[in-house]
Amino acid sequence: MLPDVDLLLEYPYTRTTGPVLGQFLTGLRDGHLLGIRNGDEVLCPPLEYDPATAQALDSELVEVATEGTVTSWTWVADPTSTHPFDHPFAFALVLLDGTDHAMAHAVDAGSIDDMSTGMRVAVQFHEERTGSITDFHFVPLDRAHAVDIGAGAEGAEPVTDIVQLIALNYHEPLHAHRARAAQALLDGRFIGQRSPASGKVYVPGRGYDPLERVEMGEDDELTVADRGTVTSFTVITPVDYYGQKETNPYIRASILLDGSDSPLISVDIRNLEEEDIRVGLRLQAVWRPEGERDLTGIDNRSVPLEGVIERWDPTGEPDADANKLREFTQ
Amino acid sequence: MTDHSRDVAIVAVSQTPAYEAFAGPEPVLIMRCVNDLLARTGLERHDIDFTLAGSCDYLSGAPFAFVMNIDGVGAWPPVYESHVEMDGAWALFEAWIRLQLGDIDVALVIGSGRSSPGNNREIFALQGDPYLTAPLGLDPASLAGIQARALLDADLATEADFAAVVERSWKAAADNPNAMVRRSDSADQLLDQPYYAAPLRAHDVAPVADGAAALLMVAGDRARELCERPAWIQGIEHRIESHHPGFRDLTDSPSTRSAAEKVGGGGTFDVAELMVAHSHEEIILRRALGLGDDTVVNPSGGPLGGHPVMATGLVRVIEVASRIADGSAQRGLAHASSGACLQQNLICVLQGDD
Amino acid sequence: MARPCAVIGTGQTDYRKKLDLTLDGLVRWAAIEALEDAGMTFADVDAIVIGKAPDALEGVVMPELSLADGLGAVGKPIHRVHTAGSVGAATAITGATMVESGRYDRVLVVCYEKQSEGNATWALSGGKSGGQGAGGTFAPWIRSYIERSGAPEDIGWKVAVKDRQNALRNPHAHLRIKDISIEKVRDSPMLWDPLHFLESCPSSDGAAAIVLASEDVARKSPGKPAWVIAHAKRTEFGQFPGRDAVRPQAGVDCSAALYKEAGITDPRGQIDCAEIYVPFSWYEPMWLEGLLLTPINEGWHMTDNGDTEITGSFPVNASGGVLSSNPIGASGLIRCLEAANQVRERAGDYQVDGARVALGHAYGGAAQYFAMWIVSSDLQPAYR
Repeated sequence: MLPDVDLLLEYPYTRTTGPVLGQFLTGLRDGHLLGIRNGDEVLCPPLEYDPATAQALDSELVEVATEGTVTSWTWVADPTSTHPFDHPFAFALVLLDGTDHAMAHAVDAGSIDDMSTGMRVAVQFHEERTGSITDFHFVPLDRAHAVDIGAGAEGAEPVTDIVQLIALNYHEPLHAHRARAAQALLDGRFIGQRSPASGKVYVPGRGYDPLERVEMGEDDELTVADRGTVTSFTVITPVDYYGQKETNPYIRASILLDGSDSPLISVDIRNLEEEDIRVGLRLQAVWRPEGERDLTGIDNRSVPLEGVIERWDPTGEPDADANKLREFTQ
Repeated sequence: MTDHSRDVAIVAVSQTPAYEAFAGPEPVLIMRCVNDLLARTGLERHDIDFTLAGSCDYLSGAPFAFVMNIDGVGAWPPVYESHVEMDGAWALFEAWIRLQLGDIDVALVIGSGRSSPGNNREIFALQGDPYLTAPLGLDPASLAGIQARALLDADLATEADFAAVVERSWKAAADNPNAMVRRSDSADQLLDQPYYAAPLRAHDVAPVADGAAALLMVAGDRARELCERPAWIQGIEHRIESHHPGFRDLTDSPSTRSAAEKVGGGGTFDVAELMVAHSHEEIILRRALGLGDDTVVNPSGGPLGGHPVMATGLVRVIEVASRIADGSAQRGLAHASSGACLQQNLICVLQGDD
Repeated sequence: MARPCAVIGTGQTDYRKKLDLTLDGLVRWAAIEALEDAGMTFADVDAIVIGKAPDALEGVVMPELSLADGLGAVGKPIHRVHTAGSVGAATAITGATMVESGRYDRVLVVCYEKQSEGNATWALSGGKSGGQGAGGTFAPWIRSYIERSGAPEDIGWKVAVKDRQNALRNPHAHLRIKDISIEKVRDSPMLWDPLHFLESCPSSDGAAAIVLASEDVARKSPGKPAWVIAHAKRTEFGQFPGRDAVRPQAGVDCSAALYKEAGITDPRGQIDCAEIYVPFSWYEPMWLEGLLLTPINEGWHMTDNGDTEITGSFPVNASGGVLSSNPIGASGLIRCLEAANQVRERAGDYQVDGARVALGHAYGGAAQYFAMWIVSSDLQPAYR
């Protein structure tokens, strides 16, 4: 049985903060709360513009009181991994003294019974601060404790960037047709789906024929050859990015397996040199030994063949006519 | 609405059930709706002049996920189509705009999404300001809780009122073959449940679903050739409020009110389908729209019966249109929203022939 | 019926690897510049349309929600288009339809990408290792084009040099390679065979904005309007039995539809200049063919002859194009904006003399999405 797909979409985004937010975050890092004037009003957190008119706000930032009143709140009974606390806490709108619009933030009140609209809260700076909205949270006024402000990551340089690691998990079973195709790969076969409407064979099958808008299922499946023709290729020089594991150049090709009408795309070939690959080349898949086949990383979008295919060997046949492969150049 | 607008009507509608988890790919959900629409109207794919779809890549967990969805719509020979990263209701809006140009007459509108693989609360926390609230994981359910609290504090509603919305919605959902929730708890039973985002309970939050919805709209008299009782779009408009909750009156929905006023037309509605993603929102929306007892609200059960994210708003339009088509309503209002605490709201007023 | 629509204001940020701004700051820069150009303020705008590529490029879901305030959208309609790489031009077209429909008189269109926050290759790879990037997708088709057309190997290098030299005249451009040369391009590292590093677009931060207006408003605006004469979009599947991705039918159909709508019967003769979406050098000749400007397999002659130079008979990408600046979500709009600025005589040091009819073009996905428009300094262009 193939396991469910567990996909982690994760990236550490780095955001530049610009002049206004940068000052605000520098203030947080240094243990101050800053706001911006908008006419008669004071906004905290500061915005670059007036939300009513979109006019730019050009003022210098001003120090803002670190105590305020809760104007509304909710209790998070079951925090997610992206919430600021592992234990239940409140999100609240807090109107800081001297400001004119509430800010949304977290209140670590201990219990839902300790939360109420109108209660007084105070900023609780954290010991370690980096210049982020997460450098503090709110607590009921009587529970605020002093923090050695100098303990933060204070330096002369203002904050100009923040890092936000966004990590989202997606979990779903393999679609039935993909599970069957994957099982076939583990058995050393490629299967495709033949459209009952057009007769065209799709490898891998998608569970439907997009040209005719017809669903396809197990009855439409057939084994196709594990040999085919290169219809297009490039040599990829890996670019470094978060999560990239590739370092050396490799060939990525589209291969039209004999018996199919749509090429297998994104096939990585590491056993051939660049001078040996060409459109029209006939290749034979060489499977890994039966007990060594692995489809880790398969999901409902892509099939990493390298866990089942050890290499692609030229068959020695004459090349196919490249001119006849135009309609498979995908 | 200007006098020289082209009359546009919805002539056919289709929706998949709201699935807790659909085991196949999203294009299949769309394909079922598209094939259904073509079968009902006798149109061929090439009779559709323009297609507009709404979906959200992040639901699927893949940037560019929307690209595969054209497999469900059909794009060969090449077609004229576009996509919004918004609920299908906004695809409807843009399609209506496009038909006003007069050179094309038939538009296909789609909304779709599979919410089952991801964590909805975490994904949509990323709608928050990336500097000020997203790093806190401040999610729409928590913001909904804050808004619900504001209603309580202003004496505009009670928790019993929230429970009543759910009770009534679930009862209506029992008659909706596409709804997902098959429960019939009484309001008292609901009030016994623990809080989820206090004062909201888990059942106050519309359960996200996998699903797709689609409709065909046609300009001019041709609409009458394709169906017996077209649902004419009397008006469609949308408005957005500030993203910052501290700048809003969370107990009201001024953008809903102003969108409805812009659509105009006065009078009453036989039916209103409101995108109630959290039960307390119904109370706010009814007030903002001035809906009275003579309007049946969410006869489908609304999103509380099943919330196929990115299709839900379009489904509201579909539920109104189908009641006009079957003669059980003459005039209806459909509402869609986007963003936490009803930040952005769309109103579509539909009317049958006299 | 469709009302006339014109571009009456344009704005662009500088395009750089990294701009020290918030997302608000980024879009406001372009929006405010466009509004000032149009003689307007945020208060005058009836509707706002945002366009950008996948949300995962910046990790902000549905950013129209968090950008609404900064763009003066509170109390107004705001819309968000997403059609992959073609999105900038698709958004311009969506904005145009909003005016042409009669519903709105003044529409602000803003497109952006802040690629320094995330990573485009990561996003294109679905967040996984081994991603091929956009270049890896197109390189095989480029190889096929070279082989079919018999084009000499230096055509791509010539495009890269031309566009980077043009960019030196464009103060907004990201890449400013003063000593760009054929040799430098040829000798730069190979990224996706046969594309060298210097034949590829940069990854940029940037935003662009245009103000679209009805005829009444356009005739009263301070600058010269660029009338939107025609627009078209076409899409095809990215992969299916029988697809020839080297010459996508959707692109050819889109061009034909565009010219038919515009009343253009001789595009090569009736269009004065073009901004076309060339993120990888060889797409210049490939799109010249896809745009029906030359017969199949002959597009490279135009490049080879110097026809597409600023001083040539059919200037292409006088702004430096996508090869010089590529904030993905904005790039398609930039093409449409630069075409508009040519016919408004606002293209500064890269103004094409006598440009009265210009083409803006974008493509996206697996070369499957196409969006294009024709703008003219005359509501009734002379060729009609």
